Amino acid sequence: MTHSFVLSFLLMVGIHQGPARAPGNGQDLDACLACHSDHSLSVTLPDGETRSLFIDRVVFERSVHGGKLGCVDCHSDMTDVPHASRPFKTRREFTVAYYEQCKRCHFANYSKTLDSVHHAALARGDSTAPLCVDCHGSHDITPPNQPRSRISQTCAKCHEGVQGTYAKSVHGKALFEDQNRDVPVCTDCHRAHDVGGPREPGWRLKSPEICANCHTSAPLMKKYGISTNVMSTYLADFHGMTASLHKSQQADGGAVTALCIDCHGVHDITKVGDQASPVMQANLVKVCQRCHAGAPKNFSAAWLSHYEPSWQKAPFVYGVKVFYAVLIPFMIGGLVLQILLHLWRVVVNR
Amino acid sequence: MTDYVIRFKLRQRLEHIGVMSLFVVLCVTGLPQKFFQAGWAETMILWMGGIDRVRWIHRAAGVAFALLTFTHLTTAIGMVITGRSSLSLVPTRQDFTDAIVTLKYYLGTSDIKAKFGRFDYRQKFEYWGLVFGAVIVIVTGAVLLFPLLVTRFLPGELIPAAKLAHGNEALMAFLVVIVWHIYNAHLSPDVFPFDTSIFTGKVSRERMEHEHPLEWAEIEERRRRGDRKVWVK
Repeated sequence: MTHSFVLSFLLMVGIHQGPARAPGNGQDLDACLACHSDHSLSVTLPDGETRSLFIDRVVFERSVHGGKLGCVDCHSDMTDVPHASRPFKTRREFTVAYYEQCKRCHFANYSKTLDSVHHAALARGDSTAPLCVDCHGSHDITPPNQPRSRISQTCAKCHEGVQGTYAKSVHGKALFEDQNRDVPVCTDCHRAHDVGGPREPGWRLKSPEICANCHTSAPLMKKYGISTNVMSTYLADFHGMTASLHKSQQADGGAVTALCIDCHGVHDITKVGDQASPVMQANLVKVCQRCHAGAPKNFSAAWLSHYEPSWQKAPFVYGVKVFYAVLIPFMIGGLVLQILLHLWRVVVNR
Repeated sequence: MTDYVIRFKLRQRLEHIGVMSLFVVLCVTGLPQKFFQAGWAETMILWMGGIDRVRWIHRAAGVAFALLTFTHLTTAIGMVITGRSSLSLVPTRQDFTDAIVTLKYYLGTSDIKAKFGRFDYRQKFEYWGLVFGAVIVIVTGAVLLFPLLVTRFLPGELIPAAKLAHGNEALMAFLVVIVWHIYNAHLSPDVFPFDTSIFTGKVSRERMEHEHPLEWAEIEERRRRGDRKVWVK
């Protein structure tokens, strides 16, 4: 937190000079471009890096802010000409100091970022942690989800390994090969601004809800012929019961139980029908053995593969269910009837 | 004349206390597991310290219950073989006749009351219900406790089947106890508010004459012949 205080302080004293300008005024663009349209304009930073100060008018005007914002809406401390010297040793220092400029307009998304793993890294002093402009760009900002696959590619700038795995998964293949708009991209599971991950407390036990967002949606799953009972059948079983009760008691570190991702995988989820799928009945016992050491071949059939018991699937289990559904009312009804008859006779005898 | 007979020996009274306490523990820790998606069940589980602890208590009580059942059955079989126990709990054709006679009496179509011996058909039904129910929950409980061992020899589908049978059999036992046993031991006008015989071992002479006339006649007969083994004080 201290770092963000330092940053805020810097911004307050260093950047917020001059009167606040109403956004939507692009009149200063021509004034600034009088110098900044020069390709050779550059500055050499104390670390030796030479940074071009050229701004491409066309790129800026095509960006989401083109015609809406002027230069000093963001560069609010650059009103003096020539600009006074800045105390930044590196280009990154400049970017970090400017990071809070977006919040003047984008306050909701800015405050979400404060809960992200990225902000936590920044607060730890990691200046490579991504800031607004690292994902969105600066002078060339365009809608981040057009096309939708661009989102995953944006994350891949840093998370290249995960992206490679994801691209081969059932979700990633549909996204990149079929331009499918239903499959989750990085931000659907990890969120966009308040980015979270497995190191976030409670993340593991919350993860089935992420899968359930799509996999319990009947209209969505109908398109792909996938059952929406996957969540209810999971919750009704031993693992799902343990997971939901651990979540209620907030026992993230409690006894281990299998979640969706433990059997199906995370970034490498494959189609259940694939021969390579770990949850194919033929491969399933190996998945069981990850936790249940030495599980015999028959063991995996104890899990009914997200099917509700029926005469077609698991007839023996269904038979037991039917047997008790008949026996319990019959038994209890009979006993209650005999008690009522007894009481009636006692009353009549009096 | 005597005022009461000793109906239950100390061992039987202790067995009742044992099975009663374990039954309560198993129901309190077990039924919330069966209905864990209901709010009351989750509240109970969290109140008892979470699912891991509830499972641990349930399993420990289950093992104790299995040991108690095993001890009871082996002792009973041993006593029957050595002739130290009668077969007074074994259901006979007479029990079916008694049940029909009693139901006719309750319905008012007959004024004849069935005369019972040491155990009437309702008591035999409850005893054997408990024994069969205990065997089912113990066997299915063991399957659930040792699924890796069981599936070395038997199909995997047995595990979810055992889980359903375990919970449903237990639910039925719970309902039978709540409805039938509580009625017969507490709420029935014959014993209200509390039939204490299973705790004190004693039953009054009046109740013996009323509820177990055949046994009482037998006791009287044996006393006349000077049989000292008869449980009369």
